[in-house]
Amino acid sequence: MEATIEVSGLRKRFGSTVALDGMSFTVRPGQVTGFVGPNGAGKSTTMRVVLGLDAADEGRALIGGRPYRSLRNPLSHVGALLDAAALQPSRTGRNHLLWLAHSQGLTARQVDEVIEQVGLRTAERRRAGGYSLGMRQRLGIAAALLGDPPVLMFDEPFNGLDLDGIVWIRGFLRSLAAEGRAVLVSSHLMSELQDIAGHIVVVGRGRVLADASVADLIAAASRDRVTLRTTARSEAMTALAHAGATVAATDRDTLTVSGLAAEHIVAVLGERAVPFSEVTAHRATLEEAYMDLTRDAVQFAAPGPEAAR
Amino acid sequence: MSERSERIMSTATRVTPPDEGGLVKRELHAEWTKLRTAPGTGWVLLAIVALTVAVSGAAGTTVSCTQAGCGHDLTKLSLFGVQLGQAVVAVLAVLTISGEYGSGMIRTTLTAMPRRVTVLAAKAGILTGLTLATGIIAVLASLLAGRLILPGHGFTRAHGYPPLSLADEPTLRAAVGSVLYLALIALLSLGIATAVRDAAAAIGTVLGLLYLLPVIVSLTPDPHWQRHLWQISPVNAGLAIQATTDLPSLPLGPWPGLGVLAAWTAAALVSGGLALRLRDA
Amino acid sequence: MTTGTTTPYRSRRPTGRAGFPHLLRAEWTKFRTVRGWVLAMTAAAVVIVSLGLIFATGSHSSCSIGTVEVACPKPPTGPGGELVDDRFYFVHQSLAGDGGITVRLTSMTGIITYPPPNHDKIVSGLVPWAKTGVIVKDGTRQGSAYAAMMVTADHGVRMQYDYTHDTAGRPGRVSAASPRWLRLNRSGDTLTGYESADGTQWTQVGTTHLPRLPATVQIGLFVASPSDLTVEQSALGGSVGQARYTQATAVFDHVGLRGTTPGGQWSRDDIGADGQTDWQRYHRPSGVRESGGAYTVTGSGDIAPLTDGPPIERTLIGMLAGLIVMIVVAVMFMTAEYRRGLIHTTLIASPRRGRVLAAKAVVIGLVAFVAGVAATAITVPSGTRILRRGGAFPFPVSSLTELRVIVGTAALLAVAAVLALALGALFRRSVAAIITAIVVIVVPYVLAFASVLPDDVTRWLLRLTPAAGFAIQQSVPEYKQVIGNYAPSAGYYPLAPWAGFAVLCAYAALALGLAAHRLRRRDA
Repeated sequence: MEATIEVSGLRKRFGSTVALDGMSFTVRPGQVTGFVGPNGAGKSTTMRVVLGLDAADEGRALIGGRPYRSLRNPLSHVGALLDAAALQPSRTGRNHLLWLAHSQGLTARQVDEVIEQVGLRTAERRRAGGYSLGMRQRLGIAAALLGDPPVLMFDEPFNGLDLDGIVWIRGFLRSLAAEGRAVLVSSHLMSELQDIAGHIVVVGRGRVLADASVADLIAAASRDRVTLRTTARSEAMTALAHAGATVAATDRDTLTVSGLAAEHIVAVLGERAVPFSEVTAHRATLEEAYMDLTRDAVQFAAPGPEAAR
Repeated sequence: MSERSERIMSTATRVTPPDEGGLVKRELHAEWTKLRTAPGTGWVLLAIVALTVAVSGAAGTTVSCTQAGCGHDLTKLSLFGVQLGQAVVAVLAVLTISGEYGSGMIRTTLTAMPRRVTVLAAKAGILTGLTLATGIIAVLASLLAGRLILPGHGFTRAHGYPPLSLADEPTLRAAVGSVLYLALIALLSLGIATAVRDAAAAIGTVLGLLYLLPVIVSLTPDPHWQRHLWQISPVNAGLAIQATTDLPSLPLGPWPGLGVLAAWTAAALVSGGLALRLRDA
Repeated sequence: MTTGTTTPYRSRRPTGRAGFPHLLRAEWTKFRTVRGWVLAMTAAAVVIVSLGLIFATGSHSSCSIGTVEVACPKPPTGPGGELVDDRFYFVHQSLAGDGGITVRLTSMTGIITYPPPNHDKIVSGLVPWAKTGVIVKDGTRQGSAYAAMMVTADHGVRMQYDYTHDTAGRPGRVSAASPRWLRLNRSGDTLTGYESADGTQWTQVGTTHLPRLPATVQIGLFVASPSDLTVEQSALGGSVGQARYTQATAVFDHVGLRGTTPGGQWSRDDIGADGQTDWQRYHRPSGVRESGGAYTVTGSGDIAPLTDGPPIERTLIGMLAGLIVMIVVAVMFMTAEYRRGLIHTTLIASPRRGRVLAAKAVVIGLVAFVAGVAATAITVPSGTRILRRGGAFPFPVSSLTELRVIVGTAALLAVAAVLALALGALFRRSVAAIITAIVVIVVPYVLAFASVLPDDVTRWLLRLTPAAGFAIQQSVPEYKQVIGNYAPSAGYYPLAPWAGFAVLCAYAALALGLAAHRLRRRDA
């Protein structure tokens, strides 16, 4: 079975609210796929539909080409962490994993393995209700890894974690992908996915806004903008405008130039003897690329960044 | 500090001094708002009235009298539904506290109102008021149903049964007592639920007390022990308040019987209060 | 980071084989790893045992002769091992080998002492099962085998034998204008009863084999009149039965004996008589008078199975407490899934939702059954033994019936737990589910036992609600030929044991079906 998640044309309404509006994308093995969008964009609902928890009104969600509910040992096909608090507080962490293992015909040995893997050994015999958020997150990840599945899904795994936890999960996700697994990680903050995601699916209002590799996405967001630092702002603007570029002043001594490659800019300025101290091809951050894409799709946008305070 | 956190701080400083005027008023108001805005409270109250009246009416249709001296206590029969209505009253009471433990809201409640016993008292007050109001409607409607139904089943003046009337002293006592009985059951349930916390365990305990003891009493073979068990069983003794005939045969009189239930209630509330005060939330 | 060219991950681990057994194991692991549930189930079993044994230990019956308290005599035991009532006036001769008796009955009258409504006077009249006629009996020992042809006050001609067997003949009362001829023949171990309106046209009423009957038996006339019974609601809950002395008098003529009667003389015995009532002392004692070939026989008592005495299921008094605990645990076993979203984890691990519910039902059912059977298997036999030692003679039952009470009660607990679990899945809220389970299972039973509701109503409750399942506990059969308080409050259910149990099972199946439907249809 191929290790993929395929989602095509998912639609779902909750009453009058459209949760999914033709959601389609594919998650491939060997890399972390970031699943990004503002709160309420349909990320969790998509994951719940993939896992058979919710039924879509339309469309299909397949794991390795098969609907989740038809899988015989689902946990050896997909591991998922949806809500780390989804456990019974009075049961110990180890026993929580034990019943899960039994449901898949797995043994206590595998439970010990995943406990080791996520570093819960010292807490395994404590009531899961007493776990800190980070420990619960580890327990959830252990549950996802229990069946050693080729596909993994994590819903907002960084939420509420301290810095150590975030660093640990990032490394962990990267190594899981490096083993050749398909890893889908949702987040509402693009910055959390910087450096670990190889591919990004950006969603808003229940549909995919962008589905591209990180490299393409950044290139698209950067377009061909160049940042120019100069003390002779107006001369530079005139010269560049004559050469056919679009120029915008961003600061007292900084200009953003688009429509002209960096080497051309240097040539034009040299020709006219306009002084400049720096010419840099601008590289957008993932965050900027994301903001570009979701500007129109934010559902619960605050009136203004400061007005809420 | 932003404006928002300042506002939180100022709210907190306003709540903390306990010796300000209107001691319980704020807690009462909060608990009332909480209960009023909880989904389902209205339905539960409706269920108390509906179940009590329906079962009372049904009990009335099951008996008939063809000659004088049928040996039925009509007031008690007309108030029979109280025996089922009390289960719903218990649900209402248990949910007012266990619901908070279930959802974790108790932490919000106790943060906002740190005087825990006062919170319990406020809950008890609101619950009592609500149960009394509901109980009055249920009891009056049950008696009215009995007054309308029973004469059709041969319980007529000719057979020695005048229509049920609150002007009749024992019937009035039974009616008032039944309302008080329901309120006491509510408080008993609240006390138990506060001590037990978990909704399922609490409702199991309360219903066990309400329905199990009477069976054990009636199955106890030794008459001496049976009387003693009857006297300490909250439901058996408490419902003596409904009896209007053959009072001397009861092991306890109506008011002392209700007193037994009140003692249970007091014990439950005290242990609930202690548990709330002494245990971590 | 590379894309597209990586080799997809393959687990090096052998995949487990999931199936229903694994699901069961998972749910069992879930159950046993919550200490509170295991403790509660154990407590339920302990409560059943301890309440039962306390009840049995606290039960004493005492009897008195005059003012002296003595141990109650053990009631006689019939040929089938059952406790029997065997008191009647007997006018008899010995019959060696085969033979028979024929009589004509022309009158049957009697008195009832202090009946309702006012309980203030002795009235003439007969209780419905007052009986008189001819009998062949293995001696005069109480509880010995017999066969009899009789006329009853309200139930016509009957042939009865060995206490529990009863065959109906022609209905109608006896009078001078409408006499009854009765005949009872013995041939080897075969006994055959006939009746006739005129002494010439005979109709066979019944026949039976009584292999235990010896060669020489007692044959003759008998009169019995059981106590008049009224049952009133007790102010303490439950009901109180009141039995009053009655007496019947019958006139026989055309008495004909066939066969070898070595004595040739009528003997008379007041079988099982203990003391005399004032009525017998001052008005009419039991006895026989003969004048002109007519025998006027007066007697009291009954020849019938005994139905009083605590039935063995009374030792399961604590079962209701155990049931409530099990209902709570069963509901929590389900609703705990919804409390914090554990159900998501469960359904991700096992996406076939119907099977998850089935596995949970099997686990909770088995746990409740095992806890239940452990408790009942201790409580019933030892409770019965303690009762017997205390002088209360529990109704003896066959070991098959005892097994049915023991296993059936455990099965009742198991099915009730499954029903509660299904309600938990339906409501997803523990309080709503528990209250519903208790109101439909426990409350009808409580109302039947401890309330002012009339018996007719409680009978319907025990037919239509899941509480019908309690019928599985009834160990005492209902004899239509014996006057008794066959009310639910006395332990008699309107449905047969397995039929009642089937009603409960039907409710559980229905609830499970609805729960499965809801689980499948709704988003988790």
